[in-house]
Amino acid sequence: MFIEFKDVSFKYPNNDKNVIDHLSFTLEKGSMLAILGHNGSGKSTIAKLIMGLLKATSGSIYICDTLLDEKSIDDLRQKMSIIFQNPDNQFVGVTVKDDIAFGLENHQIPRQEMLEKISKYATLVDMMAFLDANPENLSGGQKQRVAIAGALAMETELIIFDEATSMLDPKGTKEINAMIKKLKNEHNKTIITITHNLEEALFADRVMVINDGKIVLDGSPQEVLKEQTILEASGLKLIDGIAIIKEIEKTSLLSKENKEKICEALWELTFKM
Amino acid sequence: MNDNIVFGQYIYKNSIIHKIDPRTKLIMLLLIMIGTFLIPSDNFILLLIALLIPLIAVVFSKISIFKYLKSLKQIAFVMLFSFAFQLFANHQGKILISLAINFSVTNIIVAILILVLFFLIRKYLPFKMLIFLGLVILILYLFRFPMLGNAFKMTQINIYEKGLIHGSFLILRVFTIILASTTLTLTTKPTDLTNAIDWFLMPLEKIKIKTSIFTMMISIALRFIPTLFNETNKILKAQASRGVDFNEGKFIEQIKQIVSLLVPMFVISIKRAEDLADAMEARGYIPGNKRTKLVKMKLKALDYILLLATFTLFILLILLRCGVYAL
Ligand SMILES: Nc1ncnc2c1ncn2[C@@H]1O[C@H](COP(=O)(O)OP(=O)(O)OP(=O)(O)O)[C@@H](O)[C@H]1O
Ligand SMILES: [Mg+2]
Repeated sequence: MFIEFKDVSFKYPNNDKNVIDHLSFTLEKGSMLAILGHNGSGKSTIAKLIMGLLKATSGSIYICDTLLDEKSIDDLRQKMSIIFQNPDNQFVGVTVKDDIAFGLENHQIPRQEMLEKISKYATLVDMMAFLDANPENLSGGQKQRVAIAGALAMETELIIFDEATSMLDPKGTKEINAMIKKLKNEHNKTIITITHNLEEALFADRVMVINDGKIVLDGSPQEVLKEQTILEASGLKLIDGIAIIKEIEKTSLLSKENKEKICEALWELTFKM
Repeated sequence: MNDNIVFGQYIYKNSIIHKIDPRTKLIMLLLIMIGTFLIPSDNFILLLIALLIPLIAVVFSKISIFKYLKSLKQIAFVMLFSFAFQLFANHQGKILISLAINFSVTNIIVAILILVLFFLIRKYLPFKMLIFLGLVILILYLFRFPMLGNAFKMTQINIYEKGLIHGSFLILRVFTIILASTTLTLTTKPTDLTNAIDWFLMPLEKIKIKTSIFTMMISIALRFIPTLFNETNKILKAQASRGVDFNEGKFIEQIKQIVSLLVPMFVISIKRAEDLADAMEARGYIPGNKRTKLVKMKLKALDYILLLATFTLFILLILLRCGVYAL
């Protein structure tokens, strides 16, 4: 198991309510998990708990079978990296090169190795031409790609994307999602994507829906998408394909047979996209 | 776009001055600064030698002279003021010029009119400073004769030899220092400067002072200055589109408008600081811990020559100050 949550609860100090409420789940090495939930459901809090940026109020978290605590945290962080929502607020370096190097410098990677990794991962995210550019001259999508390169350069097994596309335009979103797919298929990373967009969850191995700090659904994307009432109750917008299926099911213009055929075709198409 | 907003900042050129190691430049600047203060304040020859160093750098830096003048402009007023102060307040040596000043009603009115006119059209004038200086001289000249009517008060303004010498020396000294520091900031990347400062502070780490935290703070600040400028601009535009005009209204109104700018700036900055701390920690940053460096600074032959030359000049100057005239 890569990650194991055992009955974890979390409360912010200035807030009485449990933001994470007795949460238990496990995540296998090499698989891709999508965590879905509406605004404020506790997704980012889960990510920060995994990264050890927040400390669970009760319960315990294991990373690679080691208990996550003050002593183990510095070592365990070398296995995980995270890309946050706001591209500006996580760009630490003054130039692209500096930013990719930031994590490497912290991990005390020798300079020569650092240079090799920078060019390798800048090439992978297609930012090689911008190594000396400063963040003011980059688009949001480009900045997020730099953040991905920085995470990849640390060569961690787990990468978490916490709504990495939510502040980007459609083009930037497409770029990042293509990048995530590539990491999953070609680089065999363990990936967690956090999103409130159902479509971004479709290419995961497993989808977990969070509402008020509790897991309300957990399964393959197909299984989860079938539970439309729960999804709607969790404040998630249906994706277009599913919404159309629902409309078709209601209509009286088509024969029952045709309805079933069309719905099936649409369902399959939804997962092909 | 924001390169213009943030002070007289780094301009990329492929010049020999840009290639000098930032540490060399920093040491040279420091020695020039201390040196100009050690030069006896009537020894123009030594000061001109000191001025020659940044002047040569300006020529070789391939950066337009106007960029340098721009940053000198900001301090021009202070320079003129201290010059004038020395000129009139220093009463040592021979009298060079003696001006009779006659205060009469017409004189004063004419002087005020000239000044008011200047301040009205000043927006459209080039070389404001020089024109202003010319006007002051003109007014002084006008005061020599009482125009129409009697002077109700008469004084003498005397300009002494020492006043002129010290005034000019002061202005040249400040000019040298400003020119030298402008050369440094125009030809050195801010990151290279922080790296150089980091390098100089390294010995302090040995006695357990965490200087790396300090340099990290500087580099984070450098990273976010342009972002904050952009953000301020965005908010200003947003407020303007809602009809807020920062230049108009009563004093209280203006205060309100500034608060309406500051509050969102604060909220954004606090959120940003929290996010940034998370991002840095997640990427393994532990304040005060040892880190490797991407940038490697290496002194080249040119650096050694420059350092040797400046140190030699500096030591000669100190020996001179100590009274070793035999040299
Ligand atoms: N620093 C904080 N202090 C107090 N409460 C907080 C803090 N950060 C988040 N919360 C609260 O905790 C709850 C969960 O926040 P969290 O950021 O985990 O939500 P999220 O699912 O990531 O939402 P979003 O989609 O908006 O990112 C929210 O109700 C939020 O108001
Ligand atoms: Mg969030």
